[in-house]
Amino acid sequence: MDSLNIEPTEFTPRINFDPENNLFEISGFSRPENVIGFFRPILKWLDEYSDSVLSRNIDFNKSLLTVNLRMTYFNSASSKFILDILLEFMKYHSRGNEILINWYYEEGDDEIQESGEEISDMLGYPFDFIPY
Amino acid sequence: MGEVEVASEELLRHFGPLSYEEIGFLLNKMAALLDKRGMNITIRKKVYAAMVESLENIYKHQDHISDDVAYLPKFSLLVNAQSLSLFISNSILNHKVNLLKSKLDKVNSLDKDGLKDLYKNTILSGNVSPKGGAGLGIINIAKVSENKINYTFTAINDKYSYFTLNVLISLNNTK
Repeated sequence: MDSLNIEPTEFTPRINFDPENNLFEISGFSRPENVIGFFRPILKWLDEYSDSVLSRNIDFNKSLLTVNLRMTYFNSASSKFILDILLEFMKYHSRGNEILINWYYEEGDDEIQESGEEISDMLGYPFDFIPY
Repeated sequence: MGEVEVASEELLRHFGPLSYEEIGFLLNKMAALLDKRGMNITIRKKVYAAMVESLENIYKHQDHISDDVAYLPKFSLLVNAQSLSLFISNSILNHKVNLLKSKLDKVNSLDKDGLKDLYKNTILSGNVSPKGGAGLGIINIAKVSENKINYTFTAINDKYSYFTLNVLISLNNTK
């Protein structure tokens, strides 16, 4: 399956989903004018990834999937979609994949750190918090 | 000691309809102004979040606004020694006034943990409307402000009212 690469804009984050290396990264800034239009194709890609890659892996040992979130700001509408994306990974986890979620935040940026803690709490899944 | 009236300085002001680019312009200007005053990243992020949520709300609802020039959207950011203060005004359809008031009263009645729970329940249950609002904006403003949101509603005519929200971000209780 092809990777998903979306270049950042003034209003939208960078997306690099690399299924070959089991690496999924979202970084930057998110307050899209059309939040549904931006995030829906990403959720669709994750659906296809689940169907065409994860479901076909019948090995006993499933892959470790690494999610790196390095956000500098996201608005409340984006937070809903970031949660939806991570809920997809929770589905993969329930089907046997190990999931590592790294939440990066700028040293001293309590807002981003706390947002990560809240999302982790909502998912009931621990994140690794990494200051930079 | 009695309350001392503190003079506030206006840092930013906008009057009239907003484009998405203008919101970005106001945000960049605010970030530069607060940075210049040596305000820390937490304060800047709080003001940033409160501005985004309130200005995007104006942007999303400006097809419903009254065309009376006295009641166009207004935004201003003021600072004094104790706090940053945002004033956000826009017109609103009368039949939506009670819903907005009840949302404001709800967030004003909650403490920090209560707001976190409300945010969590809303995000997990609510659907994102076609305009992208997730019902989370006001909760988010209350969360970052950590103060009660003051508000006024004034009837314009039988169709519209005009509201003003005042969001305070204290300067002395952040890390």
